[in-house]
Amino acid sequence: MANLQSRMEKYKNKRYEKDGYLFIFPIVFMLATLIIYPMCYGVYLSLFNTNLVNKWKFVGFKYYIEAFTNPDFYSSVLLTFKFMILVVIGHFVVGFILATLLNREFKGRTIMRVIFMLPWFFPEVVVALLFTWIMNPMYGVLNDILINIGVISSNISWLGTKELAFPAIVFVCIWKGYPLVMTMILAGLQSISKDLYEAAEIDGAGRWKQFLYVTVPSLKPILTTVVILDSVWWFKQYTQVFTMTAGGPGKATTLISLGIYKTAFTDLRFGKGAAWGILVFFICYLISLVYKVVLKDE
Amino acid sequence: MNKKKLIENILSWIVLIFFAIFIVVPILWMISTAFKTEAQTYSPTPIWVPKPITLDSFKKFFNTYSFGKMLKNSLVSCVFSMIICVTCACFAGYGVTRFKFRGKKQLMSFLLLTQMFPSVMLVVPFYSVLSNYHLTNKLFGLIIVYAATNVAFSTWMLVSYFKTIPIELDEAARIDGASSFRIFWNIILPLIVPGISAVAMFVLFSGWNEYMYSSVLLSSDDLKTITVGIISLNSQYQIKWNDLMAASVISSLPLVILFVCFQKYFIAGMTGGAVKN
Repeated sequence: MANLQSRMEKYKNKRYEKDGYLFIFPIVFMLATLIIYPMCYGVYLSLFNTNLVNKWKFVGFKYYIEAFTNPDFYSSVLLTFKFMILVVIGHFVVGFILATLLNREFKGRTIMRVIFMLPWFFPEVVVALLFTWIMNPMYGVLNDILINIGVISSNISWLGTKELAFPAIVFVCIWKGYPLVMTMILAGLQSISKDLYEAAEIDGAGRWKQFLYVTVPSLKPILTTVVILDSVWWFKQYTQVFTMTAGGPGKATTLISLGIYKTAFTDLRFGKGAAWGILVFFICYLISLVYKVVLKDE
Repeated sequence: MNKKKLIENILSWIVLIFFAIFIVVPILWMISTAFKTEAQTYSPTPIWVPKPITLDSFKKFFNTYSFGKMLKNSLVSCVFSMIICVTCACFAGYGVTRFKFRGKKQLMSFLLLTQMFPSVMLVVPFYSVLSNYHLTNKLFGLIIVYAATNVAFSTWMLVSYFKTIPIELDEAARIDGASSFRIFWNIILPLIVPGISAVAMFVLFSGWNEYMYSSVLLSSDDLKTITVGIISLNSQYQIKWNDLMAASVISSLPLVILFVCFQKYFIAGMTGGAVKN
């Protein structure tokens, strides 16, 4: 009897296992046709010196090896790291402050939430153009405001100066990207039970300790994934920076994605571009591993 | 106690207003520029409230630049990619949370991996894939690309929603003899509608935002999406900032309206699952 039952059980499990495959079939099909195939094609391209039309010369791993000694690649990756770190820190600092404040009960909370979500709804190209216009050296409103409050004395070309272009794009990218992080933190905060805070208060924990020992651990599972995604998304940032500075002045804002685009579509060296793209993929993968180790996430 | 609370309230308002200035001022400047004539945009001291207010840039938006069509293209590609993406993600999310099967863990890690390929690098392969299927220069090609690039994040979010629904519910229905699909469709899915709507909006935003794929995969003028249209205004010989800002205002409006209408739902949806990993 027991034997029969366990066989029945097994049969049932088998059936449901098959159902599991049915449910993931659509996504697997989509990934196979639209993601895996292009990825493999990208790897294939990276082994050729090609313009995709009439030049297909097999070069093996030449571009990968070259990249490591190429100062352009090297400095561009370094710059992108700097960019990513600043942007992600910006997202989390602003996101944390605003989410904490918006989590309180107060009149006008809804309207404030809507305001702070706004940057999310503006397309990247719109944000980029808006700030290009605001930072316009001749007619831009930023110079006017800063002169009026006495911070600067004459017009500054924000995006045309080597030292200022980089902080400017970092600012704009923080402006555009923090709402997602803020929303996730807000969602996380709302799911933390109030009892935990009360218990901490009874134990004599102050605000800061409550934050450190209740808020942060409760948010950690979701924040691990958010920080990984935010980092790799902004590491690969292209549209906004390209629209604002096209990588200039000089190479002051040439993030790696801009370098790849230029290599592939301006110099028509698609193989080299693909090889660099795959290296970026590995860098992003390493970033995620580092986070997982540091944040001890399973 | 009350006094402390009052001080806290005032402080938090000061911080909120400080940050709000950084958000609102640029947006107001965009709106103000959109209502200017070209001469007004080049005034040596910036004008905040243009006199007279002109609607020329908005009229040009539809007449000279035929942005109406582009809005329609953007809308079509966003909505359909959202439907495809969310459908696949719902099935996958349910499958992953409810069934044991081989390769489940690999699937979830692969989803995260797909986010690590730079889109600059994928755009060439996408082009060649789509030409294999004869889908270049068709909106449908763009739709499936958007769906494919967003499906990973959507699934990841939906998985956490599905996890919030107790599995006992499935088991009870199973004893009553319901099939897996029936349980999924009639019982579980209705419970996570807030989560689905949050994910759906996320996919909509990202499709509406997208520039690179659309600019490379579609070449015909009739199929241009709104972001590509705006960039093409920017690359003209002399930039007309008033026209550009009017185009920006109109292209951002649909999402803002959508969000304002559904904001309660959206935030509730984000709250419902995303966290309980």
